[in-house]
Parts: sequence; structure tokens; C-alpha cells
Amino acid sequence: MIRRVLAPAVGIVTVLLLWEAVVRLGEVRPFVLRAPSRIVGHLWDFRGDYTAAAWVTIQHAVVGAAIGLLVALVLGAVMAASTFVEQAAGPVLTLLQVTPFVAYIASVVLWLGSGTAPALFVVALVCVPGFAFATTDGMRGADPDTRELLASVDAHWWEVLWRLRLPSALPSIFTAMRYNVGLALIAAYLVEGGNYANEGLGAIGMRAAAFGGNGADALWAAIFAMSVLGTSWLVAISIARHLLLGWHVSQRGRTPRVRRP
Amino acid sequence: MDGATLPARLRTLNRVSRIVVRDLTKSYGDLPVLEPLDLDIETGTFVSIIGPSGCGKTTLVRVLAGLEPASAGVVTLDGHPPAAARAAKRVAMVPQQPGLLPWRTVEANARLLLDVRKGTNPSDANDPVALLHEVGLGNFLHAHPHELSGGMQQRVALVRALALHAPLLVMDEPFAALDEITRAEMRGLLTRLVDGRGATVLFVTHSIAEAVALSDRVLVMSGRPAGVVADLAIDIPRPRRDDVEDDPRFVALCAEVRHALHSNGGRR
Repeated sequence: MIRRVLAPAVGIVTVLLLWEAVVRLGEVRPFVLRAPSRIVGHLWDFRGDYTAAAWVTIQHAVVGAAIGLLVALVLGAVMAASTFVEQAAGPVLTLLQVTPFVAYIASVVLWLGSGTAPALFVVALVCVPGFAFATTDGMRGADPDTRELLASVDAHWWEVLWRLRLPSALPSIFTAMRYNVGLALIAAYLVEGGNYANEGLGAIGMRAAAFGGNGADALWAAIFAMSVLGTSWLVAISIARHLLLGWHVSQRGRTPRVRRP
Repeated sequence: MDGATLPARLRTLNRVSRIVVRDLTKSYGDLPVLEPLDLDIETGTFVSIIGPSGCGKTTLVRVLAGLEPASAGVVTLDGHPPAAARAAKRVAMVPQQPGLLPWRTVEANARLLLDVRKGTNPSDANDPVALLHEVGLGNFLHAHPHELSGGMQQRVALVRALALHAPLLVMDEPFAALDEITRAEMRGLLTRLVDGRGATVLFVTHSIAEAVALSDRVLVMSGRPAGVVADLAIDIPRPRRDDVEDDPRFVALCAEVRHALHSNGGRR
């Protein structure tokens, strides 16, 4: 347990020390790279502003991803049940997945206005394909013998969904969630920077970037804060996964724990 | 019902027959799987169905359990169509693989069929916990399936089916994936569990010894399209002891089944 916390900590601290050394010993322009000590100092000086901005960003990202997940669960369940729907929706979802969303953020802001609405919309939209494909695959993979068994007592479709298909899809949904964390945060950051509400880490970071060298402190502080948000979110997901998927092969140790009478 | 089957029908008219099959056929597209089949199985009989691989044994029991429609002919369970019996939770299945839900504990898995469509549960459903104790899993109520051996998992699957207290128990090669020693144990356990409960059992198997040791009646099926080529009564008295396989009558009956299987089994 100690090693599991210690090893990543050693890795991060090493990188931060190297980073600090490179900035101090070499002559790096501030906009290119800021020393970690200076970034942390700046974050501390303006902690109220950054905490408020981070709170806005995490809401955009988490609520948006949750909306995307709900939409994808419904869509994925229908796709798992109907090959026709899967074949109809599949290409659209793939298109959504490969289109760079940066390109249409401005249009969404024009359409939905500034503030929370466009952020939630874009975040949800970019999360849907990954979640939907994961849901479909997971539900399709539900044990055929158990499906037959439930059919033998004429289980309602929603009982099969709730008792068998949804739990079967949880492992792949969790895997999709790890990828969607990054996507959701980037989408929230970009939409915040691209509208007039002036809220969130994206608003700070993207405006600072426009100032060049003068904005370097704020830019790097926003980057730092974003990575802290992402890491905390991933840790929360790991914990949830551990609690919910204790039964799954991926969560067990390498040696099988077979108990004998 | 046409004239050809009338005599068979008259013969069974005054017998109480839980499962009645008349002129049953089943085909998948152009491929005939079951040739016209008549069958009467009385309540409380343990019937094994044995035949070559892929001959349609599983299809037959799936049709009898109402999981697949017949292409033609009539099947009734206690006078009702199979789909109605299934909807009334009067058919309990034990699949080839235990099919346990990995996220449910042993106790919750044993309860699964009772948890589904609760309103339809019979008032005399068996207590899964008591049954788990009976099959020697009393110390594993809160364990998860991955902590159990294959034989223990199949015992949970057995309890899950018995908990329904259904009058018809359908088992599709339930012990096929187990090793020989565990199979012998399961055979004894199944005999003890089913004896005296009054349920009709349809037991699909590849093993002649298993069929003879467990059954009151063995149906030997031919290769596809499958028909019943031999219908043997197993007159070994019950209760059967674990050493039934040393009984000379057992050996003779096994030879009879083997003969029926080999003389007709390869027919196409």
C-alpha cells in the first residue's frame, strides 16, 4: 500500500526537480517554461481566483461528462439490442469522435451563448462516442448462459438490462471513462477560453497565452491547475472502480484466491 | 391431429402425463433438426436424453422449456403450452456453464431466479440459504463465484434452479465441464436433492454412466434430424446408493444404452 502511493510520488517529484533544474541552469524564456517553484508561488498568491476558476472548470467537465454518460448509456443499450441502430449510429459516432471539436466550439458558443451551456454541451458531446461504444461492447459481452437463464423465467427486458447487461458493461465503461477525463477537461478548457463569460481555468489560461511573455505566470498556473484537476479525477475514478468492480478479474491480485471447504 | 397419430393419442388418454409431445418437428430454415416426435413423460420422472454431439438434444429441451418455438406439432406441460409454463416460472434451468453473476455473492446468485419477476414466485419456493447448507456451501454464502471451484459453482447453479421449486427441471449437460471425480460427487448430490421432491427432470448428457445412474428412463437419440431410437426404462430401485455403478444391473443397462447409441447414432 505504501509503495503504491510512494512510487508515483517519487516519479512526479523527480520530474519536478529536473524541470526546476533545467529552468534555473539553462536560460529558458519564461513563456516556454516556468520553474515549478515560481508556478506554485503564483498559484498561492492568487489562490482565491484559481480555486474559483478550478471549481467552475471541474463542474463543466464533470457535469458535462455525466450528461454524456447518461446519453451514451441509453444509446449504447439500444445499439446493443438492435444491430440496425448500431449500424446507423456507429458511423455518426465515429465521425463525432474524429472531428476536432476545437473547430466547432465558436459555432456552439454563437448558438448557445456564453457561460455554462456551451461548455456542458461540448463536453457531453465529446464524451458520448467513447461511452456509447464501451456500453454496447460490454452489454453484448454479457454471458450467454446467464441470458438464457433469465429468459427461462421470462425476465423483463429492464430486469435483464439492470441485473445482467449494465453490470457486464461496467468494466469497459470505466476504461472509457479514463480516456474521457482528458477529453472532458480539454473541452471545458477550450470552451471557457472561447466565450465571453470569463470563467474557469480556460478563460485564465487562454487569455494569458494571448499576452505572450507577460501572461506566462497565469498560463503556467492554469496548466498546473488543470493537471491537478485531471489527476484528482482519475484517482477518484480508480477508487470508484475498486469499490464497484471488486468482483472483476482486472481488480484481483495475480494469484487466484480459491477457498476450500 | 391427423389420423396417423390417433392411436398413440388414445393409448395415453387415460394416463396423467406431465409432458406431452405430439408430432413435434423443428427445423432451422431448410435444415431439419428434429424429426416428428411423440413423447409422454410422467410427473416426477427423471429422464435422461443421450445422443451424438449436435444431434438436437439441446434443441429438444429448449423447445420443451419454451425457449424456442416448435416448427410444427404440439407440446404441453401439465396441459399448458411451454411458453406459459415458463412465464409462470414453472421451468427451472441448469445450464452447461454455471452462468453465475461474478458481482453477486453465492447467496445472491442462488436467489437470482427468485429476484427476477418476484410477483410470479410460487408460495412454496425453497429457501436458497437452506439449500446452500444442504449442498455443503453453508460457509460460502458471502463468497463470490471466483473464489469457488468449478464443482462448487455448479452446486450454486443447482441450488439456484431448485430454489424455484419448479415442477420441471431442465439440465443441459450440467456436469460436462467438470472433472471425473467431481462429476461422481455431483451425481450423488443430484440424486439426493431430486429424490422425493416430485419434480420432473430432463437431463441432457453425453455420459452413459451418468444417464443410467441418475434416471428412471433414458431416451437415446439418433443423429440429425434427431428422433428417439430407444426408450429404456431404468429399473434400478431407489434410493440409489453411491456404489450403484457396481450393480450388475447397472452394467447391463449401460451396455444396452451403448448398443442403442452405436447401432443408430450415426444415422443421417
